[in-house]
Amino acid sequence: MAVSLITYATVVFPMHGGDVRAPSAVFDQIFEVFLLLGTAVGVVVVAYTMYHALKYRDDGGETDPYADKVERPEMGEMPTGGTGGRKVFYSFSISAIIVVSLIAWTYSQLLYIEQGPDPAQEEALEIDVEGYRFGWDFVYPNGHTTNTLRVPQDRVVRLQVTSTDVFHNFGIPALRVKTDAVPGQYTSAWFTANETGTYTAKCYELCGSGHSLMTTDVVVMPQDEYEEWYAETNGTAASGNETGQRIATEATALGGAPA
Amino acid sequence: MSHDHGLPPKSSVSRWFLTTNHKDIGVLYLITALFFLVFGGTLALLFRLELISSGADLLGSMGYNQAVSTHGLLMVFWFISPFAFGFANYVVPLQIGADDLAFPRLNALSYWLYLFSGILMGVSFFQGTTFAGGWTMYAPLNTPAYIPGEGLGATSVVLALIMFTAAVTLGSVNFLTTMYRMRAEGLRMRDIPIFSLSINLTVWMMLFAFAALLAALMILASDHILGTTYFQYSIDGTTMATDADNPGASLLWAHLFWFFGHPEVYIVFFPALGVMAECFQTFTGRRLVGRKWFIISMVLVALQSFVVWMHHMFLTGINLPIKTIFMATTIGISLPFDLMVFSLIYTMAKGRVRFTTPFLFSLGALILFIIGGITGVFLGAIVLDYQFRGTYWVVAHFHYVMVAGATALFGGLYYWYPKITGKMYNERLGKIQFGVYFLGFNLLYFPMFIAWETPRRVFVYPDGLQIWHTMATVGGFILGASFLIMFYNLFVSLWRGEDVGPNPWEYATSAEWAVSSPPPLENFPGVPSYATGKLEFLDDETVVERTERAPGAAAHGHAATDGGTATDGGAVTARAATTATAMESAHEVSGEEHANHASFWPFLVSLGGFITFLGLSGVRTGSVFYLTMAAAGGVATIGSLVGMTREPFHAPEMAIAERWPFERVEKMKLGMWTFLASDIVLFGAFIGSYAFVRVAYGWTAWHHDLIPAEHVTMPGLINTYLLLTSSFLVVLAMVAAERESKRGTVAALAGTFALGVGFLINKGLEWNHLFHISTETFPSGWNLSTNIASSTFYLTTGLHGAHVTIGLIICAYMTVRAWNGAYQGDDRAIEYFGLYWHFVDIVWLFLFPLFYIL
Repeated sequence: MAVSLITYATVVFPMHGGDVRAPSAVFDQIFEVFLLLGTAVGVVVVAYTMYHALKYRDDGGETDPYADKVERPEMGEMPTGGTGGRKVFYSFSISAIIVVSLIAWTYSQLLYIEQGPDPAQEEALEIDVEGYRFGWDFVYPNGHTTNTLRVPQDRVVRLQVTSTDVFHNFGIPALRVKTDAVPGQYTSAWFTANETGTYTAKCYELCGSGHSLMTTDVVVMPQDEYEEWYAETNGTAASGNETGQRIATEATALGGAPA
Repeated sequence: MSHDHGLPPKSSVSRWFLTTNHKDIGVLYLITALFFLVFGGTLALLFRLELISSGADLLGSMGYNQAVSTHGLLMVFWFISPFAFGFANYVVPLQIGADDLAFPRLNALSYWLYLFSGILMGVSFFQGTTFAGGWTMYAPLNTPAYIPGEGLGATSVVLALIMFTAAVTLGSVNFLTTMYRMRAEGLRMRDIPIFSLSINLTVWMMLFAFAALLAALMILASDHILGTTYFQYSIDGTTMATDADNPGASLLWAHLFWFFGHPEVYIVFFPALGVMAECFQTFTGRRLVGRKWFIISMVLVALQSFVVWMHHMFLTGINLPIKTIFMATTIGISLPFDLMVFSLIYTMAKGRVRFTTPFLFSLGALILFIIGGITGVFLGAIVLDYQFRGTYWVVAHFHYVMVAGATALFGGLYYWYPKITGKMYNERLGKIQFGVYFLGFNLLYFPMFIAWETPRRVFVYPDGLQIWHTMATVGGFILGASFLIMFYNLFVSLWRGEDVGPNPWEYATSAEWAVSSPPPLENFPGVPSYATGKLEFLDDETVVERTERAPGAAAHGHAATDGGTATDGGAVTARAATTATAMESAHEVSGEEHANHASFWPFLVSLGGFITFLGLSGVRTGSVFYLTMAAAGGVATIGSLVGMTREPFHAPEMAIAERWPFERVEKMKLGMWTFLASDIVLFGAFIGSYAFVRVAYGWTAWHHDLIPAEHVTMPGLINTYLLLTSSFLVVLAMVAAERESKRGTVAALAGTFALGVGFLINKGLEWNHLFHISTETFPSGWNLSTNIASSTFYLTTGLHGAHVTIGLIICAYMTVRAWNGAYQGDDRAIEYFGLYWHFVDIVWLFLFPLFYIL
């Protein structure tokens, strides 16, 4: 009986977000490339600038070494441009290509972050997040509300975030998930955590005297432990939407099963 | 040749209160801005000290929030832009060949409004707590409901910003009119020196961006003082915020603020870019390479700056197509800067680079800007932006950009110091300052990139980041110390510095270096002209000769009937701008008949405004002290404005000037048009705000839920007819004045006045009725605070009503003057008033359907 239930649950609701590419992996990859290229471009351009400044420094000599090549500006002349514009265009084109291609490359990653993994591949856990001065409420599909976010390992978690007072911003830096908590509106974000452990969620928008201390724990638990914990919260809350009830049922079903 | 425009000598204190001269005002701006640099810098050192270790053990949490918020506001508003405009005031008229700005008294008014707005900002610290919601002032944390205590300090800050914005708007109108009407002969717009050009584009951006900010601030002040609910929202008992009464509140502020806020970045940076380009040209002995493309790049940035604002809001839930568009515009706006950077780099090639203090600061600014630019590209990748949002990456990036701009401006201070004072600073100390400054800067801001995971505006951070924060704090103090060297150097050099001639810098070309240091009050020894392709000063005879030969080049063909007097007070109230004959103007230039250019009114108007606003900050408490202050200040302001209008003030148009593309638009009219352009944006922002909160609420539900049946169309319809008829009467007044019919002019103006008063009475009756209705849905009336629909209705039509009231005051003044025989045969003053009045009517034609029909 137990075995057949598990089989059923796995087929209809595949639980594994482990093969889903986590937002933190996407971020790390892009950030690394940008850091590498950014540093390289920075070093080259600054060095190039300094090279020009030093190479053409006035040695204090009487004669102008470039007198035959360039014309020096004179007092009271009508402003005009100097010669050598072609080089400006070459350099500009190179920089434009680097910038545009870099951003274009990140765009496909953005689409992934925006849309999230294919819903058919995963069964997301949906949690509502409410910011208030100065803390966070996490509302689970079964209506359970808590101040500590507990999520299962290797599972896609989708957050619907809002605020009950001022503008906040909910972020879990280690998991590279972040979104604004705007009163009167919802924003969404998703993540998966591949490692169990305790992380910290922080507020990233100034919200008053307690802003600096508006942090809370995010506990990533092994899936079975999570199901156990979740099943226990289920007793009190009968409310919840359709998805919520489905997930709740599923959690109950899995509650006593060995992982 | 020398004369004093009726001004006391510079050694006299009263000179600095009376002056309207652009050079004096430039100096006042520079000194005042440096004061605010010290003010904002001290606050920064305070919170850097706090951050030397994690926790708020020094300032306390609210103290810390106040320090970071006001540091940002002071640096962005009261230091960097006014500092740049100190140079703009001093240098732009000299560079373009004008003897002053177009409206000298308005320029003085801008300065005094700026100073008093800063004082009001300072006073806010003593009203309990000052503003503590960050310089971006996000809603609804910026409303009284979320401000601890009485929150009067926060209200003062909002009002101070409004006063500052008024100063900026007047300044923008003034600079634009000056630059389009007063350029030396032969100087096309594209030919003006690069610093002046950067200022021209800056003021264009200011004109529109600050109008949007003004709308945001007026609405916020109304939420604070009148009790409207634009930026507030409430929750219907349950835990989830889905039943908010005004779900658009937070994002409305974000949109308004960033629509201003992003152009503001370039408003701050462009003058610095202009200074860099000037210093690069002078100290490399090379003309700016790719100058044409440099200018085109700046124009592109100025235009695009208005379509990138949502990149500050990528996480607010805007949809993917919009994100994509704003990502593209953001990358698009970064590219012209690449070109400008390379243009500066190649300007050094084959140059004779001299590492003077101004050049060191300019080169330093370029390098810092390159780093700021590269780290900005990171933010252009949205996936990275999401994670950088609200962290020190953003803090470090924009300090590398903004303070790079400030770095260039400090270079400008050294560059023009000999021009302004006639003395050379100590070069050795200047170089030492640069070294200390550059070290301090990088020690302060670079570690912030490494410690980027620290959230912004917090005083708690992980132990692992302590070393970087400590390093930044040390850097902050080194940076601060470098200014002690600068102040010492510049102060002592006033006495000990070597005297300099007109031009201490080899290869400087622009006109400010062609006159003595400091330049004489009237700027030039003759009428400046570039007609031959090179700067020369024309004497009186040549001017007369040339204007007779080609009348088109002269100011305007005909002589004004009232002897060529003009006033510049309050764009509309001013009398007709004079188009003096070429002959008169030529005399003007040589100073044979110079009118008094001393005026105490700009100071008094601003002082009155300051008292009014300080009073307004506390009226919601009902305190007699504050109410009295508001009333007394109001009377003082209006009295001073009338005094200013009645004061004779002579600022003639130039005899010969390059005026493309506004040859046929005299300066008063051009000033009026530019002012109205910003007013259009102001109303546009109000109407946009209305549409935004209504859509967020639900367009049709709005009408059903929030508006009483008693709010009917009829009063609005009657008012539409009243205003349209009054507009027609203004035209009749012009016709009558042209025909020299005094009776007709008086009758038409009085009729306009009567219809306007009728409009206000009708509106008063309507409002009074709505305030006191008692229905099932609205048992205690429909007033400003009832709901978001009533707030938008009263505030938007109220703003329009205020415009009508101002128009009526002017109209009454003009009716009296017409009665005394003014305007006959010269209807220009009526035309300027008419422009304003028609504009107010047209605005009503938008408001009527939006607030009465839809």
